[in-house]
Amino acid sequence: MRARSAFFAGAGSVAILAIGWQAGVGSLMSALPTSAPAASGTNAPAGTANSGTANSGTANSGTATAGSAAGTGSTGTTSNTSNSPSAAAPAPAAGGAVADGTYNGQTFNTRYGTVQVNAVFAGGKITDVVAVKLTDQGRQSVSISNQAAPMIRREVLSAQSAKVSNIGGATYTSQGYLASLQSALDAAGFTG
Amino acid sequence: MTVHTFESMGTVVSVRLSAPTPHSDATRASLSTEVLALRESVAMAAAEQVFDGLNERFSLYRESSEISQIARGELLLSASSERMRDAYAEALLWREATNGAFTPHRPDGVLDLSGTIKAVAIAEAAAAIQACGFTDFSINAGGDILTHGFATDVTASDDSASDDTHIGDWMTGIVDPQNRTELLSVVALTPELPAMATSGSAERGDHIWARPGATNDFLQATVVAQDIITADVFATAIIAGGQETLDHLTSHFEIAVLVVKADGELLANARFPELVAH
Repeated sequence: MRARSAFFAGAGSVAILAIGWQAGVGSLMSALPTSAPAASGTNAPAGTANSGTANSGTANSGTATAGSAAGTGSTGTTSNTSNSPSAAAPAPAAGGAVADGTYNGQTFNTRYGTVQVNAVFAGGKITDVVAVKLTDQGRQSVSISNQAAPMIRREVLSAQSAKVSNIGGATYTSQGYLASLQSALDAAGFTG
Repeated sequence: MTVHTFESMGTVVSVRLSAPTPHSDATRASLSTEVLALRESVAMAAAEQVFDGLNERFSLYRESSEISQIARGELLLSASSERMRDAYAEALLWREATNGAFTPHRPDGVLDLSGTIKAVAIAEAAAAIQACGFTDFSINAGGDILTHGFATDVTASDDSASDDTHIGDWMTGIVDPQNRTELLSVVALTPELPAMATSGSAERGDHIWARPGATNDFLQATVVAQDIITADVFATAIIAGGQETLDHLTSHFEIAVLVVKADGELLANARFPELVAH
């Protein structure tokens, strides 16, 4: 139980729950060592997570909660840029404390592709939770924090372009409009 | 739905209007074809008036505009209209929100509010169109788009076209900056995130001023947001401020972002693929 509360305190700070990775988070728990990490303050309420101890320079400010509104969420995501999962999960240290390192959770198939949730332990505490997307192109991995990450064109291309009613793009002049896709839609009276 | 276009602010504005939904038999009877056509022309005249009125005051391309008088030193900012001072104050707030990547000053120090004024015009034109009784419409001004309500006349049905998109979402393409006859992506604009703006390093350059040390990280930045001013300012700021500004804005604001890097590679945050229509 103590491990679970510590875990969710960390998870809240990266707002992963906001985008619906509960399934991944839950199953990560079963992948973790069963012994409780030797961490102080594991009963801290959500919102005070990682109040900056071992994590110099990456302390999460702790205002983020799942589904938080504009302007608050994921203030700690700058620490969340490690895209590649470590090849092998470190073994728990003798004596029950969790050894430092990255622990890989199970993988899940979602509509965005295969996703894996990893937890980073340092000093017996979870210091970061990283959702890693394993795209279907080779083993290229993409971070699913709110930070922008590389995408392949096929991932953002739509099959529904026939229904498009407006085209966005960098500002065109009146003359540029004449050669634009938007003018073609307008001329056809296309309304989607 | 009908399509109307007019020219203002050096570009073309396209408006799509759905007929207002009648709330009773009485209003249905009053919405004869003639009345509807009249209402549409009133709404479009109002929208055009909004654009032209703002352009009249804020365009540096017009010698007679108030902002040109300020640029020439004929009028002190402190003695300018309340509208001008409010717009300047708001632009300073945007500069703060973007850590300086967006700025209302040209490198030569001249006050230039064109970075926000087109988006303000879109927002105010939308309010004018609403005031004429329309609830379902879109405005595309030079590639920046604000939607309201839904794209089709029939919105009662909640049948989903797929898991991701619904009938009536405003399907909106994003042009490929490296080939302007192709689309990079198509996203659904909805009442939750109804506005989309795009800036590019190759655009006509009237409102992106290189800061000292400005980056050339990105060719194009598209931001989808809750309102058009946020979307427009942030798209401009990301082009000007590069990766650092992109990281700052995506971690502090509820926006979806698609960026084309200088080498053609794409970057998107997690919100973006949720909007992509499949």
